[in-house]
Formats: sequence, C-alpha cells, structure tokens
Amino acid sequence: MTLKYLLQKEFIQIRHNSFIPRLIIMFPIMVMCVMPWVMNMEVKNIVVDVVDNDRSTESHRLVHEIEANRYFIFHGQQPTYQAALEDIEHSKADIILVIPQNYSRDRTLGRMPQVLIAANAVNGTKGALGSIYLSQVVTAHAQPAVAALQKQASTLYLYNRHLNFKLFMIPALFAIVMMLLTGYLPTLNIVGEKEAGTIEQINVTPVSKWTFILAKLIPYWLIAFFVITVCLLLSWLIYGITPVGNVAFIYLLAMLLALFFSSFGLIVSNYSDTMQQAIFVMWFFVMILMLLSGLFTPTRSMPPVAYLSTYVNPMSYFIDAMRTVFIRGGGLNSIGHQLLALSVIGLTMGVWAVISYKKNK
Amino acid sequence: MNAIEVNNISKHYGKVKALQNVSFSVGEGEIFGLIGPDGAGKTSMYRILCSLLLPNEGSASVCGYDVVSGMKEVRKRVGYMPGRFSLYQDLTVEENLKFFATLFNTTVEENYDSIKAIYSQIERFKTRRAGALSGGMKQKLALCCALVHKPQVLFLDEPTTGVDPVSRKEFWEILAHLKERNITIIASTPYIDEVQKCERVGFLSDGILKGVGTPDAILDTFKDIFNPPPIEHKQRDDTEKETENVIEVEHLVKAFGSFHAVDDISFTVKKGEIFGFLGANGAGKTTAMHMLTGLNQPTSGTGRVVGFDIRTQYEQIKQHIGYMSQKFSLYEDLTVAENIRLFAGIYGMQDDDIRHKTDDLLQRLKFSEHRNSLVSELPLGWKQKLAFSVSIFHNPGIVFLDEPTGGVDPATRRQFWELIYDAAERGITVFVTTHYMDEAEYCDRISIMVDGKIKALGTPDELKRKLKQPDMDHVFTYLARQAVRSSD
Amino acid sequence: MKQFISFVIKEAKHIIRDKRTMLMLFGMPTAMMLLFGFAITNDVRNVRTIIVMSNADYATQEVVDRLGASEYFTISKMVATPSEAEKAIQNQQADMAIVFPHDFASRRTGLQFIVDGADPNMAQQWSTYANAVITNPKGGVTNTKLLYNPQMKSTYNFVPAIMGMLLMLICAMMTSISIVREKEKGTMEVLLVSPTQPLMIIIAKVIPYLILAFLILIIILLMSVFLFGVPVQGSLFWIFSISTLYILLALSLGLLISNIAKTQLVALLMSAMVLLMPIIMLSGMVFPVESMPQILQYVSAVIPTRYYIIAMRKLMIMGVGIEQVLNETLILAGMLIVLLSLSLAMFKKRLE
Repeated sequence: MTLKYLLQKEFIQIRHNSFIPRLIIMFPIMVMCVMPWVMNMEVKNIVVDVVDNDRSTESHRLVHEIEANRYFIFHGQQPTYQAALEDIEHSKADIILVIPQNYSRDRTLGRMPQVLIAANAVNGTKGALGSIYLSQVVTAHAQPAVAALQKQASTLYLYNRHLNFKLFMIPALFAIVMMLLTGYLPTLNIVGEKEAGTIEQINVTPVSKWTFILAKLIPYWLIAFFVITVCLLLSWLIYGITPVGNVAFIYLLAMLLALFFSSFGLIVSNYSDTMQQAIFVMWFFVMILMLLSGLFTPTRSMPPVAYLSTYVNPMSYFIDAMRTVFIRGGGLNSIGHQLLALSVIGLTMGVWAVISYKKNK
Repeated sequence: MNAIEVNNISKHYGKVKALQNVSFSVGEGEIFGLIGPDGAGKTSMYRILCSLLLPNEGSASVCGYDVVSGMKEVRKRVGYMPGRFSLYQDLTVEENLKFFATLFNTTVEENYDSIKAIYSQIERFKTRRAGALSGGMKQKLALCCALVHKPQVLFLDEPTTGVDPVSRKEFWEILAHLKERNITIIASTPYIDEVQKCERVGFLSDGILKGVGTPDAILDTFKDIFNPPPIEHKQRDDTEKETENVIEVEHLVKAFGSFHAVDDISFTVKKGEIFGFLGANGAGKTTAMHMLTGLNQPTSGTGRVVGFDIRTQYEQIKQHIGYMSQKFSLYEDLTVAENIRLFAGIYGMQDDDIRHKTDDLLQRLKFSEHRNSLVSELPLGWKQKLAFSVSIFHNPGIVFLDEPTGGVDPATRRQFWELIYDAAERGITVFVTTHYMDEAEYCDRISIMVDGKIKALGTPDELKRKLKQPDMDHVFTYLARQAVRSSD
Repeated sequence: MKQFISFVIKEAKHIIRDKRTMLMLFGMPTAMMLLFGFAITNDVRNVRTIIVMSNADYATQEVVDRLGASEYFTISKMVATPSEAEKAIQNQQADMAIVFPHDFASRRTGLQFIVDGADPNMAQQWSTYANAVITNPKGGVTNTKLLYNPQMKSTYNFVPAIMGMLLMLICAMMTSISIVREKEKGTMEVLLVSPTQPLMIIIAKVIPYLILAFLILIIILLMSVFLFGVPVQGSLFWIFSISTLYILLALSLGLLISNIAKTQLVALLMSAMVLLMPIIMLSGMVFPVESMPQILQYVSAVIPTRYYIIAMRKLMIMGVGIEQVLNETLILAGMLIVLLSLSLAMFKKRLE
C-alpha cells in the first residue's frame, strides 16, 4: 500500500503550501461572485439618434414611440444624417433612424415610406439586434397591418423563461473553475518536483508508475468534488439558481472532466522541463479548448471544420451535458453520449499520462 | 592604503542576524580567504562589499570608496562571482564569455592569457550551449567569465565547489598570477588546501568574525572544526568476509549520439565495502551511477546490482538500493518525520515498524527535537545527514551517494563519514562519489574514471604505491591530467 | 554603446533560442486570430428546428419549405404534438420547435415558437429570424444599413481586441519574466556589479520585446486584411503611434511586475492574475462594458486595454480621424507616464 503514503505526502504538501489551499477556496468564490455579472452578452443600452426630415405629427409620434421604448436609450434628434454619423463616430450613439421627408404622406397614402436605419455594426450582434428591433418598432408604426401579423406568433422560451443570462453562464463557469484547478495544479506540482530534483529520488524507489500517477490524480479528484460543491452552493446562495436535473450527474460529469484535465496536465508536465514551459503549453491548449467549446458562442454557428473539433473536445461535451442537466433537467438518456465520450477521452488521456511518465530513460 | 576596510558591519534580515559587528581590512594585492560554514554570513558580506546590499550598521569601503555613497565608483572597480553563479544556459560557451567580457569593457582576446589554463579545457566546446555542459564544466566556464576582466578587487564566493582537484589547482594558479598584477582577491572555500593558499584568512561563524590571521594560525586555533582527528577505520580483511559481489559490471557503455559518456567500464564491488567512485568533472561518474540505479538504460554491456540485471530487472533493483543524489533529495516542504514516513512507506515498511525505527534514528542523530521541523528550515549539513539516514532507512543492500558532502565544512563532513562507517558495519555496501581527496582515503577501494574509462582501481594504498605518489591528491592529479576530453 | 548592443544581441538570442516560447509567441497570435476569425461567431446558422403540425396542408408545407431553404434553419424532424418537441429539445436533438395550428392555412396566424431559452441571446435571435422568414413581409418600410461591418462579421469586433490582449501579454509578461529570470538565476547580481548603468540593462532588455511586439502587430494586421478581409480604414500612422504608446505602457507594467516578483513563477502568476484575467473579462474585449454592474465598470476604467481597444476599433474599423480618439489617447498617455515613473522609481539598483 505505497499509495497510502504517497497520498499522505500529497495532502501534507498541499496543506503546508501557503498558496494552494487559499486558491482552492478563494478561486471558486471569486469566479462565482464576479464572472456571472461580467459574462453577460445581453444586448442592452442601445443609443438611438433620430434625424427627422418630415417634421410632421406622424413622424413626431414615431419619435415619441422610440423615446418611450424601454429597449432603446433615446439620445436626441440631429438635423442631418452627417451630424448623427458624427455622434456614432464619437460613440455617443449606436444607431441612427432617418425618417424621410414624405413619411406622413406616404403612410396615409398606403405607400411604403423608406425609413433608413443605420447601425454601428462593429459589434455585429449589437448592430443586428438593434436594427431588427428598431425596424420592428418602425414597422409597427408605419404598417400596423403587417405588424399585427407578426405579433400573432407567440414565443415560448423553455427552461429560461426570463431569459436570464446568468442561468446560461453558471454551469459553464463550473468548467472554467475545474479547468484551472484540476489542470494547472497537477502540472505545477509535477514540474515543481522535477525542478527540485525530488522526482529523481522517487524514480529510484520501487514505486510503480501507476501508483505514482494515481497518487497525483486522486487529490485533484477530491479537490474537484469540493470545488463543485462550493460552486453549487454559491449559485444557490447568491443567484438563487439550482440545478433542475439530478445533482449526481453534475458530480459525475465533474469527475470525468477532472480526470481529463489532470491527466492532460500530467502529460504536459512529462514533456516539459520548466514550469514556464508547462504553463505556456497548458495555456495554449486550454485557450483553444475553451474557445471552441461553445462556452460563449454556439458550436453550431461554427464553420464545419471547427465544428468537427468539438467531437474531440471534452470541454464541449462537458458544457453541453452540464447545461442539459442543470438548465434543461435532462437525465441519463439526454447526456448518455456525452458521458461516454468524456469517459473515453478521459481514460485515453490517463493511459497516455502513465505511458509518457518515464522512470527509466 | 588598504583595498578594503570593513568597520563594525552588521546586517540582519528580520530576526536573523547575518552579520554582527564585523571589522577587518585587506591590503592591496592580497589574497584573503573568507571561510566559515554554510550560513555563516559570507554571501551577505560579499554583497555588502559589492554595494549590492545596504548594511544595517557600520561602514565599509572598497578602493577608498564608501560602499553606500560611492556605489558607482565601487562597481567600476570590482569583479564579483556569486556563489550560485549562473551562466546563460541558452548561450554558447563562447557567447557567454564574450558577453561578460563586453560587460566589463574588455575583450576575450585581451585577457586570453589570464584564463587560458582553464579555458583551454573547454575551448573545444565553445559552440556548445552552456546548459548542455556538466556541472563541473559550468563552474569552470563561470570561473573564466569571472576572470576575463581585470578588476582592482575580485570577490569570489565559493568558486570551486563541485570542481575536481585538478581544475581547482589550476584555478588557484591563475589567482596567483592575478596577484602579481596587484589585484586584490577575496575568496571563500570549503577546501582546506585552498585555505592554505591564502595569505590571510578570516573565519566567520554565525555572523561573527571569530578570528583573522595566517591560514596556519586560524586552522590551528579552530582545529576541531577544520582539522578534526581522522576517523579510525579498520581496513577490511577480505579473507574474513564472504566475497559475494553486490555490483558486477562488464563492458558497460552509455553513448549519447557519437559521444561515449561511459566508455567500456568493468568492475565489481563486494558486499559491505565502501567503494569510492572518483573522477574529474564530466568523466562520466553520474551517468554510470544512473545506469546502476536504473534511471538510465545502458547502450551496451552488462551489469548486475544486488543480483539483478540493470537492463531488464531495474524495478527489482530499486527495491534493494538506497540513493542520495547530488541535488538535495528530501521534500523541503515536509517535516523530518513526514519525510522518513514517506520513504519508509514507499519501501513497504509497516506503520508501527516505521514509528519505532523513526524514534530510534532521531535519537541516534540527536534530532528528536527537530522531529516536526520542516526540512527546509534545517542547515545544509543536517539535511545531508538526514537524507543519508533516510536513504538507508529500509536497510538496502547497497546505497549510492552522489557527491553527498558538497559545500560542507570539514567537521560536518567527518560526522557524515561516521554515519557511512556505521552503515558499512551493518553490512550495507556504500558506493560514493566525491571531490574531497581526504574522503577518498576513507574508502576501502576506489576507482578513478578519466574520459569515461576506469584508469585505476584498488585500495588507496595500492594506488599510491603503484603510481608512486605521496597521497590521493597526487594520484588523482597524476591520472586526471592525462585526460584528453574534458566534458561529457 | 558597445555594451548596450551586446546586451540587446544577448537578449535577442535568449528569445530566438527558446523554441517553445518562440512557437508560443507567434503561434498564439495566429491561433487566436484563426479562432476568433473563423470559429467564434454568433451568427444564426444551422438552427435545428422541429415542425409540429397536425395536418399537412399546402400552405403550411410552403412555409416549412421556406424555413428549410433559408440558410438559418435546418428542419430536423416533424412531430405531431408539442410535448414530443419539448422532449427532443431537452435531449438536445433540436434547438427550437415551431407549432402550426390546425387552421393555419385559413387564418395565417396562431403560430407558436417553442425555443430552448438556455442561451438567451441566441434564443431571441432565433425566434426573431424565424418570424421574419415566416411572415416574409414583401419590401419592408425600413431600409437597414449596417455601418462599417455590413456582413456583421464578429472578426471586425475581435481584431482590435486580440491586438490589445496579445500586445499587453507579450510585452508585460515576457519582459517581467526575463528580468526576474536573471534575478532568480543570480546573473542580475553580476550585471549590477558591472560598470554598466542599471538603466541601460533594463532598456537593453526591453528593446527586443519592443521589436517583437511590432512584428506581432504587423502579423495581426496582415492576417486581418488578407485572411479575414477586415479593412484597415483609418490612418496607419495613428494606428502605429497609439500602438507604440500602448506597447510602452505594457513594457512599463512588465518592469513594475519584475520589481515586485522574486521568482519567475510569481511573475508569471502575477501577469496572469493581474493582467490576463481582468483584460479578458473587463476590458470590453468579449463582454460589453456597458452590460456590467456599475462597480465593475469602475474597475474596468483603470484597465488600459479598454481604451486601446476602443481607440483601435474606431481607428481601424470605423476609420475616424485622430480627433475622435483623442480622449483614449490622452488617457493612455497619462497611464504611461504614471506607470513608467512608478516602475523606474521602484527599480532597485541593489538587492533587498
């Protein structure tokens, strides 16, 4: 039972370290308290400038309607399109509405008045959503008949009735916390032993590769377990958000992800000589895994080649399954294939970690 | 005028008093030795004199300039080689040397004569990166870098730690040349033969300057530290004991590319023997040891350690050996007891057995009150004794020690060797490398490696007789000077 | 001067010889540009849609065909009841469902969209797009013009952001590590004791990174123009001038970190914790600053990257003149002066 002694050593080292225990506790708290507020891609506060070339009662009513709309922030009227454009260039406005000269007449005659909407589309989502909404408001005013038709369709938002962005982000945040704690810590741990020379001492003892790697992995599983519990508690305490599905699945997913990340960390450290190298390499891969995981943007919007990469991206499976359990309340048959994929990837990486660890050169 | 004046200098880091009321002076063109055990405050003294540290009390001047107010002037006139002098690992030998030459406003060509004796040994590797050199080679390059310019005052903080005796001799010959040019030199060293080459020495212990005087006077006054009585060691009588071989090596070769680090060596080590494995830096000692301990695969040849094949049964070998590496090998962030428990547990000892033997060991080492101290808080000498005790805690058949006493004062080294003798008496074979020739005399048998080959093998007396040399130091120098290559 | 040049050469050799770091330095910008340029998009595409209808009449079929033909939606299956559709959404086999009433052909109204609301932004966009495709108003009253970025590519938004992040990271992190490395390895002691001016040592250390930063800047700009077709609208002169300001600022930050950190690891962690995280989170690079709570907006006000990104978005993408980004430039200049003087004041010519 050499494993027992090695595990004891790992825990004593973690306890003696001044930084790691604090990191394990503080990091999830920091992330859960701050990130949901930041990671908000909700389009809000769209500032509108209006150029009214018609100056009729009808156009005034349209302007008032926009002013009253809570979705938009009304900045003011500008005499010319040029002047309004300058507002955009100064970042005072995001979108310009130009009402044509004969707006009122055309409208009463049943002709189509051509209202111009010019949006700053540097931020594509903001520009697109803003112009779509503004054009809906205008259409409602100019062509009540068409607008009525559109209104006939009702929308039911499942699982997230209030379209709360935090609900969407919180399960994904679990992944970020796990990635940093169970991926980086073992890497730093092993490379640290390499730099201190103690790994050479272990290598001349009869400790087997499997025991050694297992002794490095188990503490991080426990840390993952602890961290997930903290995250779940915090999301309930701070945001009142609790998982809809079975919590056991959340833990199971977290364990599998921890297996992947800690094995990955070990592999990186087996191939690196210095901490700096290890951190850089980890960072490079983690960045790619994270960006392509569907954390911020839907994977299905990606071009086909990039989408293919999600088949081997454990983060993508994790986040997908996590959201299914957490938000949609899915059960085993909803996340079966993600569980399978995560286990396969995790085990493969685990075996690789053991193979790449060389006691004898 | 004196080159260096030190008046009542004190320096403390928080509660730790590194230097207390130290005063001395060094004349121009003098070679002054600053000696003392690890942690005595030597490095702080050097740093204050180089204007790198501010003293808390007292004043000091170098070449007539105050080290606090005359920082710029002092830095123009001094050269400094820190204890852990580190080269730029990713620059080649030549680039390192050129860079340091330019740094001091001079060129390698201009000063080639002053470094020739040492640089000629590594010049053929000048296009190799410094990081690819062996430990001793790096130290030699560092010496060249420190000597490439001619400052008025040269500070050398333990410049020869880990360097083989031959190169040490050459280094001190260079210092003698520098002295002829009226360069003042302050150097520290753990080697007694080097202390004797200084004109005057100051002995620093626990931040207090215990005495200044000629080397002989100081070594005599503090002889229980510097010149402990030699250890009584009965020479083994081979006929009495069984002649079972613990190590059998035949035609062992380790090649890195076309370079043969270990080039066809054959030898045997008998049970209970203390076997000294000597050689110059880069002769291939560490590589050979790595093959015997199963860290490296041999390229060709055969070897058996405690009856197991080093090629195929290295995992079984590990069950029966102890190992203490050049780098310090205990976990610094675990306590003494936790380290013992870990390594004992790894070798499959039972919990009560471990507890029992830990108490025993700590009592024997008079370590009991440090049972729960972190290893990082212990002085170097204690760490080494502890590391050795841990490496034989599971009663291995043989223990490998790679330069176990580097950088330690003679008294501590002597205590360390007493532990080695204890172990040998209990039947543990000891396989040790060292650069201290007095330690070589303590061994039952020694081998001397030159250029990856074993050039001499026998008891110390046999070797002295055969090569007609007065002591081990001369035996070593005689053999090592025949070296053709000088790096691994 | 000779010393200075040999210093710069030595530093350049350190960078060039470290293969893995070199790979990182040039691989990172390339990978980030490719990821953000191609893969990270919010476009509505391939939305898996379920059609719920009780009777397949001609009018309904026509609408369904129109949906399927659009680039936004793919019809994944047809079911009879809404609850079946919900089940499929829960199992992540579909993103939304459209429920047609049995009398859709006659009334043309009464549609219901059942949308997976997990991602609120996308959910809203999906239903809006679906509505637009179905009602298909012929020739609307509005005429929408998307300024600066007519194709609504996310790349336009991200290129300046990537520049802001990478330049900061490379300059601040790499310089601080390389200075701390010399401290840690003990070579700094020798350098300090040499007759070379300490300030010279620092300037010589910084210059290769300055050049490197410009190289990376040029690579990013070239990639963005030739690979992603993001035009550089504004004056190159001002883009480079403001970038220089920003690079110098990042270098002073690196110097500041190197004054505080004692080991490379600490320097690395500090750069990651103090620089990278806030920059990604709070600089407005991915997440708009105006959507954050007030207190975080105040925090983001001290992050230089925020101003650089704003300035670059305006100069590069919108093509405005320097007078429109005067504010940002002045803030950056002010920050540079403060940081530079602070880091030089803290620079230690001795050990502690």
